Amino acid sequence: VIRTILVGSLAAAFAAPTAASAAAATTVIDLGGSRGYVHADAGTPLTAVQLFVNAGLARETDAQNGLAALVAELILRSPVPSTTSGQAVPLTDAVAARGGSLSYAVSSGYVRFNLQATPETLPTIAPLVARVLAAPAYDPATLAAARTALTARIANDEQDPRLVGLGMLRASFYRNGAALPALGTPASLMTLTAADARAFHDRWYVRGNAYIAAVGRTGATSDAASRALVAALPSAQAPAATTPSTRPFNSEPRRLLTHRDVPSPYVVLGFAAPSLGDRDFAATLVVRSFLADVFVRPSATTRPLALRGIGTVYGYDVAPAQFALWINGALIDPSTGLGALSALVKATGDKPLPPNILDRYKESARGEWQLEALSLEDRAWSIGNAVSQGLDPDTADTIGASIAKVTSADVQRVAKRYFQKFDVALILPRTAEGGGG
Amino acid sequence: VTIHTMLRAAVTAALLVVYGAAPADAQPSSPTSAGTLPGGVSYELLPDPAQPAAAVALWYRAPSSGFGGTPVAGLSRLAAATVAASAPITGTPLGRLIQGFGGKLTVAAYPDSVSVIALVPPDHVSQTVRALTADFFAPVMTQAGLQIAQRDVGEDALYRSYDPEDAVEDALGTALFSAGPLHDGVLGTPDGYRGTTLAQVRTFAERAFRPANAILVLSGNVNASALASIATREGSQPGSEQPIVQARHVDPAPLARAGHAGGIGLGWVGPPIADEAAATAMDFVADALFAPDSGLVQKAIGTRKATVSGRFVTFHDPGIFLVTISGPDAAAVRPIVERALADAAKPMAPAAFDAARAAFVYRVMADTETPVETAETLGWYAVEGNPAYAPSEARSRYFAAAGALTPGGVAATAAHYLGTAPAVVTLTEQQQSSRPSGDKKRT
Repeated sequence: VIRTILVGSLAAAFAAPTAASAAAATTVIDLGGSRGYVHADAGTPLTAVQLFVNAGLARETDAQNGLAALVAELILRSPVPSTTSGQAVPLTDAVAARGGSLSYAVSSGYVRFNLQATPETLPTIAPLVARVLAAPAYDPATLAAARTALTARIANDEQDPRLVGLGMLRASFYRNGAALPALGTPASLMTLTAADARAFHDRWYVRGNAYIAAVGRTGATSDAASRALVAALPSAQAPAATTPSTRPFNSEPRRLLTHRDVPSPYVVLGFAAPSLGDRDFAATLVVRSFLADVFVRPSATTRPLALRGIGTVYGYDVAPAQFALWINGALIDPSTGLGALSALVKATGDKPLPPNILDRYKESARGEWQLEALSLEDRAWSIGNAVSQGLDPDTADTIGASIAKVTSADVQRVAKRYFQKFDVALILPRTAEGGGG
Repeated sequence: VTIHTMLRAAVTAALLVVYGAAPADAQPSSPTSAGTLPGGVSYELLPDPAQPAAAVALWYRAPSSGFGGTPVAGLSRLAAATVAASAPITGTPLGRLIQGFGGKLTVAAYPDSVSVIALVPPDHVSQTVRALTADFFAPVMTQAGLQIAQRDVGEDALYRSYDPEDAVEDALGTALFSAGPLHDGVLGTPDGYRGTTLAQVRTFAERAFRPANAILVLSGNVNASALASIATREGSQPGSEQPIVQARHVDPAPLARAGHAGGIGLGWVGPPIADEAAATAMDFVADALFAPDSGLVQKAIGTRKATVSGRFVTFHDPGIFLVTISGPDAAAVRPIVERALADAAKPMAPAAFDAARAAFVYRVMADTETPVETAETLGWYAVEGNPAYAPSEARSRYFAAAGALTPGGVAATAAHYLGTAPAVVTLTEQQQSSRPSGDKKRT
């Protein structure tokens, strides 16, 4: 199972040392009481200004599931004056017509809005977005459009067995908001009213816990845009959100089963995992690299996700975090895969990795981490996510050095502590008779 | 094994690989954005030291179906994958080397070009440049490597054959052109790849992948010193491949096929890349009509169950404008698409035009956000023969052309190129058709 070839040994011997340019550190600016975290990249023509609002899943009750996403969707679809006619258009269209883009994502602790544009167009776009942030539309047409858009996104996600499995495992692992489907469900969305959305917005869209992460061609215009977005929120403080808690694992894996319109089965394993700021985080990345290499056959190039037998998702946007490992049943027999993985994580906990194996996976883990966030939106998220967990905004830049220090004992400890117990989600094809559901 | 050993010996004799310090004249005295190195390798350099990663890419002008004889659809992809899968003289296949330090390696084949792109951590750029150029400039190709490549490329082709856009666009090339790589297609089939011999692949690679035909693109967290790591090869054939002549059908006949994916395709011949104003106008038209969510066609479709995509592909000569309509309501949506295309020949109202152009320019900029996207864009425009026109802020000709667009000019260009009857492709989905990976979406 474990390939023992020391990758790149000859090539490494020839390699001339080429130090990477030192990444500039994130600077912190005052946005009238709130904080802005600014990371300049003059090599790109665009700037991403990302607003984090403490109005994520943790603010929802079970009965309100989908409300965080619905309010965000309402903001994007709120009508604003068009530049081309007297008719109103959704905010996203208005932003696009001015040369930018606006999107959102819902997490356990926050909802984040990513506004992206050139420095030249940001001054015209940011005030527009700010006005809607302060007062979204709750009229029936906008509400219906928001519901329709969310339902379509949910349906799209349902086609990906990995996302289905992750959702099942989150629901099993977490006790509160983090357990809920990020976008709600079609059924839950139908129960949510305009009054619910307005109350949620009025209560949680406040300046006290909000902050900005800006990446790209930053400067005076992005600073001003950041101030405009934050200033759109009332200056109130909201009580801290409930910290996610988790359920203890059973000694035997909890098996979760569902049927979907997929042609082959998927198995997704969910483990507890150290959070971004935990001392075991770097060692877990090494384990991630190690596990992702199991069953990997020789290939010419990096295989696309859909054609890989195995893959991982590390959910470190929540603390405590969850680690998931999926097996594509079309390429690996699920029973064989599950058995081999169980044996492997047990063996990794029982005895230390040989030095050459450890070095190999530290190397790949370090590289994979450097490629973790590449788009402006992801880079801004990386900063904001660290801040949301009370960490330094440049935490991600320190992980590579932490990986270099990982020892066999660290890997063994992590394998023992986090990878011996897990839940299993099975996503099976619907039968011809329509079985399952 | 014997063939492998003999080949390695021959290649070792023919190859002069420069490890570490390069000859003084091989290294530019100061960082420049583009140029040609003494071995004949062209390069494009777009550093951005604030990026967390780097892309190292090799682009080649080469017909996807081979340089002559019986066309083999997708031969260029298979050849590049075979090089990446074969153990070179340094002992580690390229794909494994790159992934060993956490990088990603991709091969992409287009009708008249092929690219190999490595996304790597910044401290592995020189090593990647060295390995990539050494492996491709003097390709060692083994039977074992070919088998791995045949399996991988065959799986990719099968998977992509379920994607309506890929299948329709491949067929539109056949409908638009009577011969040449666009006619032959790039997808290929698993059986076709399995039937390709090592000799065929090797012959192709020796000609296509030689240094003088290479365009090296470095983007992201890179600097010019990485150029010192480029391998060179003594005695390789000088000169790059000339642009490929595409023989057009004068009056394209409708084409009907059965396959894994169903859909309707409409295709037109467009301006060459040298006609920057017209090519930019066609890009604008495609964006205004077909941009996801905000395009005029996308909005006109409403709740109908159909997916429509459209794009202008800036080939050397001619470019092509391709539209794909798929889904249960494809036939019902086709008149909407045709009406929108006809309306493109009428000037837009000034305010609507300004808004559409702002959205278009933003999307073009957003398409070069990451090192790989930049390498793809720069490489494409270089291999098609007009690198200075690549959409890049540093090379502002593309955006100058976008800024110079007018409603009347765009309408006239659309009328000229889209005013004729299109080539039409109808793909019928075979029954019992099920995508092989357990995943309906391409990821």
